[in-house]
Amino acid sequence: MSLVLLEDVKKSYRIGDQEIRALDGVSLRIEEGEFLAIVGPSGSGKSTLMHLLGCLDTPSSGRMEICGRDLSSATADMLAGVRNREIGFVFQSFNLLPKLDVVRNIELPLIYSGISRNERLARAEEVARSVGLGDRLGNRPTQLSGGQCQRVAIGRALVNRPRILFGDEPTGNLDSTTGAMILEMFCQLNRDGKTVVLVTHDPDVAAITKRVIEIRDGRIRREYAP
Amino acid sequence: MNFLICLETALREIAAHKFRSILSMLGIVMGVSSLIAMMALTAGMEKGTRVFMQQIGGLEGVSIQNKEISNAKFEFWNLSPGRTLMDARAIKAAVPNVSHVSPEMSLGALIASEFDSDRKGVRGVWPGHYVVARHELAVGRFITDLDVDLAFRSVVIGDGIAKKLWPALSPKEILGRTMTINQSPFTVVGVLVRYEREQEKRQRAIQVAQNKTRAGDPARGRQLARWDPFRQKNEAVCIPLSTMFYEFKSGLFPDDSMDTVKLESLNFRVADLDYFQATIGQVRRILDATHRGVDDYELETREEWFDRMEQQVSAARLSGGLIAVISLVVGAIGIANIMLASITERVREIGIRLAVGAKGRDIFMQILVESISVAFLGGILGVAAGAALIQVLIIVAPMENAPLMTWGAVFFSVGFAILAGIASGIYPAMRASKLDPIEALRYE
Repeated sequence: MSLVLLEDVKKSYRIGDQEIRALDGVSLRIEEGEFLAIVGPSGSGKSTLMHLLGCLDTPSSGRMEICGRDLSSATADMLAGVRNREIGFVFQSFNLLPKLDVVRNIELPLIYSGISRNERLARAEEVARSVGLGDRLGNRPTQLSGGQCQRVAIGRALVNRPRILFGDEPTGNLDSTTGAMILEMFCQLNRDGKTVVLVTHDPDVAAITKRVIEIRDGRIRREYAP
Repeated sequence: MNFLICLETALREIAAHKFRSILSMLGIVMGVSSLIAMMALTAGMEKGTRVFMQQIGGLEGVSIQNKEISNAKFEFWNLSPGRTLMDARAIKAAVPNVSHVSPEMSLGALIASEFDSDRKGVRGVWPGHYVVARHELAVGRFITDLDVDLAFRSVVIGDGIAKKLWPALSPKEILGRTMTINQSPFTVVGVLVRYEREQEKRQRAIQVAQNKTRAGDPARGRQLARWDPFRQKNEAVCIPLSTMFYEFKSGLFPDDSMDTVKLESLNFRVADLDYFQATIGQVRRILDATHRGVDDYELETREEWFDRMEQQVSAARLSGGLIAVISLVVGAIGIANIMLASITERVREIGIRLAVGAKGRDIFMQILVESISVAFLGGILGVAAGAALIQVLIIVAPMENAPLMTWGAVFFSVGFAILAGIASGIYPAMRASKLDPIEALRYE
């Protein structure tokens, strides 16, 4: 069974009296363990696609199944549950909470899945060590470098053991050396069996994946292996 | 997301923005402290009223008064003997729920000691007068049954009289001395305590503390000039009723006997208030018999009077409470305002929480608990500020009845603060929980 299944998915927004078709009939299938990049220029609809895949939104029409669940017309709470358990997000601008330290930031998703305090902290600490922040547990994001921040974000994305990991321009705010290190982490995670989806407009980033999907004007223009 | 995490997040948020939190708490602090102070003021008033009621005999005291005969029975006026000792004896013998009866004959007389003299009202009483009039002895004893039975020349005097007749002597030294009432000698067997209002007690305590060395009591002279509800009690001169009759009231008319002379006053005290109305009915039937059906008397209870006093207290409480509640509402609006502002500031944080799986109700709870925490902390500070305010009030504006802070007031005010927190948190929390995760994440 596919991890992600999109069938003729359309998404349109209304801005004033103008209707904008962000996605115009996308069909896509992602299997467990794939390493995939979604590329395209800005305005192509790749962000919208990622929001759908990341369960932040529902399609206007078409069929969407994620982890075997039909989410074509899911409620906000259902989506929140799937985001919490099955999906990990890594953002371009890290999106860490500035008032919380490393462990507390990583712990965040566990809070919303009703796990006891001691287990939460233990798991968050373990994950922090596994992403190489064992000596930074009590620091706040402002005291960390960009690369370290992105490691915290990856840790947060992984802490609830999701089946899919999304990266939205994960190296966009990093210099090339740190960016390469972060990308290597994604590769390693995929080698360990995790499904990884990167959204990017950087061909170098797309090049490390195994399958590239190019979006333009709300449709899949082509699909290739780099 | 459970409550403890909400609370932890809320406290973290409050601690992270100390100045903002204190500002938003300030309204609640002021509201709660004024509510506390207001409730303490009315509680003090209430207590003062109650003490005053007790001192003047409480609800249990009933007085039998003369009344104009109605027109229908006017022709029978001479059938009734009026208020006499017969009434007192009959009530005492026949109404079980009357604990004490106090008939009085009074006389304006010249009283004198070896030092001074004055014209004062003298009462001839039964021992029951002690309870009915709520007297308290400083030294000695009150008029007893033996005094009445044998018509002894004993007298019990109030503190004011003692000070007037023997200014230099203490009550103890006055016991056993002789005074005259219209030239008849009487032995002082008891001196009553000085009755005074709370305020005088306090002022005297202060005065004593300040001028321990100064001779005399300068405060007293000044206070006598002011209205004193206890003046009559302090100037009491009580002798046995029988002595009063034989010495001063007999012989005016040849037919007079002790049982037919009219009384100047007749009061009694109800033992069990639960049967108050039934007791009043019994007394009325007895008086109808002794007065031979002539309606020349009425029973004066204090219910109406006390009701009026309590109405005044509750009116004061209501209006004071209303003003305090208004300031609490203003405080709540302050919290709501700042919570709304802080949500705009935290849209991104809320977006992140939504992205990692927070549900709308998790966000709702977080914001609500935060505003309740602010209100609760404000409430606690407000209680402290209110207690301080009360102390300031006591020093700056001494009142007849000192403000009284009760636990009830504390719980009520803090409860109201929490309510204000809930009311002010609901709208911001609703706004926050309805945010769209994508837009919230994009928000700068």
